[in-house]
Parts: sequence; structure tokens; C-alpha cells
Amino acid sequence: MEVREETNDMNDNIKIEVRRLNFYYSGALHVLKDISFSMYKNTVTALIGPSGCGKTTFLRCLNRMHDLYPGNRYEGEIWMDDDNILDNDIDHIGLRSKIGMVFQKPTPFPMSIFENIAFGLKLMGIKKKTEIAERVERALKDAALWEETADILNKFALSLSGGQQQRLCIARAIAVEPEVILMDEPCSALDPIATAKIEELITELTKRYTVIIVTHNMQQAARVSEYTGFFMMGKLIEFDTTQKIFTAPSNKMTEDYITGRFG
Amino acid sequence: MMTREQVRKLKSVIALAFCTLAAFFLGDVLIHGIGALNPSLFTNDPVPPGIEGGGLRNAFVGHLIITSFATLIGVPVGVLGGTFLAEYARGRKIARVISVLSDIMVSVPSIVIGTFPVVLRTTEDMLSLVPWTLREAAFALGAPYYKVIIHVVYRAAAAGILTGILLSIARVVGETAPLLFTSFNNSFFSANMNEPVSSLTVTIFQYAMGPYGSWHSQAWAASLMITVFILVLTVLGRFILRWRYGKRPTI
Repeated sequence: MEVREETNDMNDNIKIEVRRLNFYYSGALHVLKDISFSMYKNTVTALIGPSGCGKTTFLRCLNRMHDLYPGNRYEGEIWMDDDNILDNDIDHIGLRSKIGMVFQKPTPFPMSIFENIAFGLKLMGIKKKTEIAERVERALKDAALWEETADILNKFALSLSGGQQQRLCIARAIAVEPEVILMDEPCSALDPIATAKIEELITELTKRYTVIIVTHNMQQAARVSEYTGFFMMGKLIEFDTTQKIFTAPSNKMTEDYITGRFG
Repeated sequence: MMTREQVRKLKSVIALAFCTLAAFFLGDVLIHGIGALNPSLFTNDPVPPGIEGGGLRNAFVGHLIITSFATLIGVPVGVLGGTFLAEYARGRKIARVISVLSDIMVSVPSIVIGTFPVVLRTTEDMLSLVPWTLREAAFALGAPYYKVIIHVVYRAAAAGILTGILLSIARVVGETAPLLFTSFNNSFFSANMNEPVSSLTVTIFQYAMGPYGSWHSQAWAASLMITVFILVLTVLGRFILRWRYGKRPTI
């Protein structure tokens, strides 16, 4: 196991620190180029950029999702606390239980609403039925879905509406109490009302979690995040506080993108 | 040159013609079979022609044994094999080779071998239809691969896999020619699988060819029972699915 090398800007508020990350899809497609930046505890970091810029690819490096497919290759380091996520010896299962993920399209499992959330809890080894029921309820409340589902917990999850399904997926992710939550365009398949609910939820989540969200919607990035990273063609062009990025970006490309001159 | 609509109409007409033909056969079995049904068919063993009150108990029991064993051996191997191909060997050359080989084996007329390639191929196809995002969602929660498969992927593909299993059982139930050379037939009751065992299909084959009216009517009754059995199996399968997984869109 590697030991994290001290650097000048190390500080206690950093949850994840990325150092010179390069990523290649199988076939040596070089998608991420020399990415280095840090994500801070209990904040929302938004990743923006045009389609194909690598922001989703980056997000999926953080929970080693690319390892599901053969031939993908990482270079560099991603430190979460004192573990290098990219270490060959890292326990994927342990890592993924610490880093939850919400996908672009809702992905409820083909089982009941209750079982959807209990699935992760059982994976953690929780066996007591009362404890599972308690934590399912808490997760649904935290995801602002309890009122709509309290009476239909045994109903098939796919019978929920799209927005409800997405909140169920968020509930499923937070039920196992991860440290970090990754969101890959969680609202792109939802209507404005469902989107507003989820954005509200994201703000609420930062009390306990570190959230990293990929979004195509710049207003959304501005609304929900404290920090913003702008990606283009596999490079991190600029990373700063959201306020700075949206009011006074230091890079011309960032400015052009934010103001809608391209992308 | 036919327009697309004309082609579709032609296809419909052909399909309809075949369905009508099938309905005709089914109706024939139903009419003759119902008339020949009686309790002694299930409780008595065959008696020499000319004596009243014989049945086909030996064939029913023998058939049940043969079908159960074929299912018990073939289905697990098929489901596990299909899972291996669609999940663990996905995209590898060996998966392609095994797929093609089992496609060839589907036409091999042997009951044990005949049931597993069908189950294997349908399982593989149905698992491949389950979107990867669903697996990713389960992996993202920290699930090991075998739990992802058992708890999420199998559930998503349950309807398809079950259909494959039912099809293969139906295939085994209706198998005749291979039984002529493997289990032969037996006019007496026997449950020993190392000895010749009676089966409905071979009995139907022999009775239908025989010169006695009582044999013919018993053959009709046996045909009806096989048909009913397959129907019940299919309906039961659907019910189990609905009861276990609720109303849902099926793949």
C-alpha cells in the first residue's frame, strides 16, 4: 500500500485529492489528461463541460466503475483520506460502499420499494429486521420520498414515477451512509418540479456527505454547488469556487462556455 | 415488387394458416381425448387387449420420472452455463464458441442434452438483455458480482429465463424418438431408471399404431394429458412470476 505523500496544499477539509490523473479506455483512447484538483468535505462540487469532455468518465474513476469493463487503464493518484483509490490492491467493494452513486437515468432494481433500499443494508451485513425497517424509513425521509411511499413500500419500484424513482435511487445510495455521493446528471431525465426537489435534496445532503455532481445544466451547477470544475477535451480547464467560475472566470474558454458562446 | 404492407399481410395470412392448422390438431386431441378419459387410466397398469379396465399408470409415472430427471439435470446446468456466458465470459472468445456449439446441440435429439442447450441459450440471451446500468447500480452499492447476478440480474430476467425453462420442459415432455432408443418402453410398472421405463410418448406411438380400438382411445387420452400438462406448466409459470415479482413489464 502506498503512503500519501505530503504536499503544501494538504488541508483537513479535503475529502478527495486527485493528482495527475490520466485515464485510457480500452484501445488506448486517452480520455482524461493530467487532472489534478481537490474536493472538499461537506460541499457540492459541480463538474461542467461540453458533451464528451470527460466529466462522466472522471466521475466513474472515483468509484472504479471502469474496472467493470476490460482494458481500461488509470494513471496517477486519487486520494480519499489516506487511501489511494487507484491502488491496485484497493478493495472495490469496500470503496464502493463508501462512495455512493446516482445515475443519469433512474435505476431501480426489479423489486419492491422497501427491498430496493434494504438491498444495500443487507450487503452491509445488517440482519435485524427492525433495524433495516428503521433505516429504510430514515433514508426515504432523507430523500423526501417517505410521504409518497409510506403506504406502498411493498409495491414494485418500477411503478413509481421517474422523479420518484430517482429519489428512490438517492435514498438507496444514502441508506448505506457513504462518505461521498457521486451524481451523474441526476436530473437530466426529470421535469422541472422533480428537478427542484432533487436540487433541494442535494443541498440538504451536504450536511453529512461530500457531493460531486456532473451536470449539463449550468444554472443547476450555479444553484447547488460551492465549487465548480470546467472540463474540456479531457482536461480540467479551470477549478474554483462556483461564484468565481460564474462571475469572474480566469480562463477565456471557461468564460466562453459559461456565457454560451460554444458548447 | 410487394410493398411493405403487402409483405406484412402475406406474413399474417401464413401465420394465421399455421395457427388454424394447430387449432385443428388441438381440437382433434381435445375431442377424442376427453371422450377417452376415465379414472382407471391413471390408477391401473395396462391389461391385455380385450380385457376391460386397463390404464396407463406405468407410463404416467415413467414419464414423470424421465421428465423430472431431465429437468433436474438440464436446467441447473443450462442456467449456470448461460450465466457464465453472459456474465463471466462476456465478450470473450470462449463465450462465442460455446454459444455456437449449443446452438448446434439444440438439434441433437437426446433428452438430457436437448434440455440444457435451450435453457443455456435463452438464459444467456435474457441476461444479455438486462441493461448494464442496472448492474452498475448494484455494483455501485458495493455488491460482489455473484450478489449482483442473483439479486438483481436474475430478477430482471426472470420472465425470460423461466420461459426458456418451460420451453425446454415442454420439449422434454414431448420427446418420443430418442426414448425409443434410450428408455425403450415397458408394459409393466417400473420406476428403475436402469431398466426400460415406460413413457407416455412412446406408448402413444405404439398404441396409435396398434390394431385395437381401446389402445387408440388411450393414446388420445394420453395425448390430451400431455397437452394439458404443458398448458398448466406455462400458466403456473406465469402465476409464480406474478406472485413473486408483482406486475411488471417483462423482457
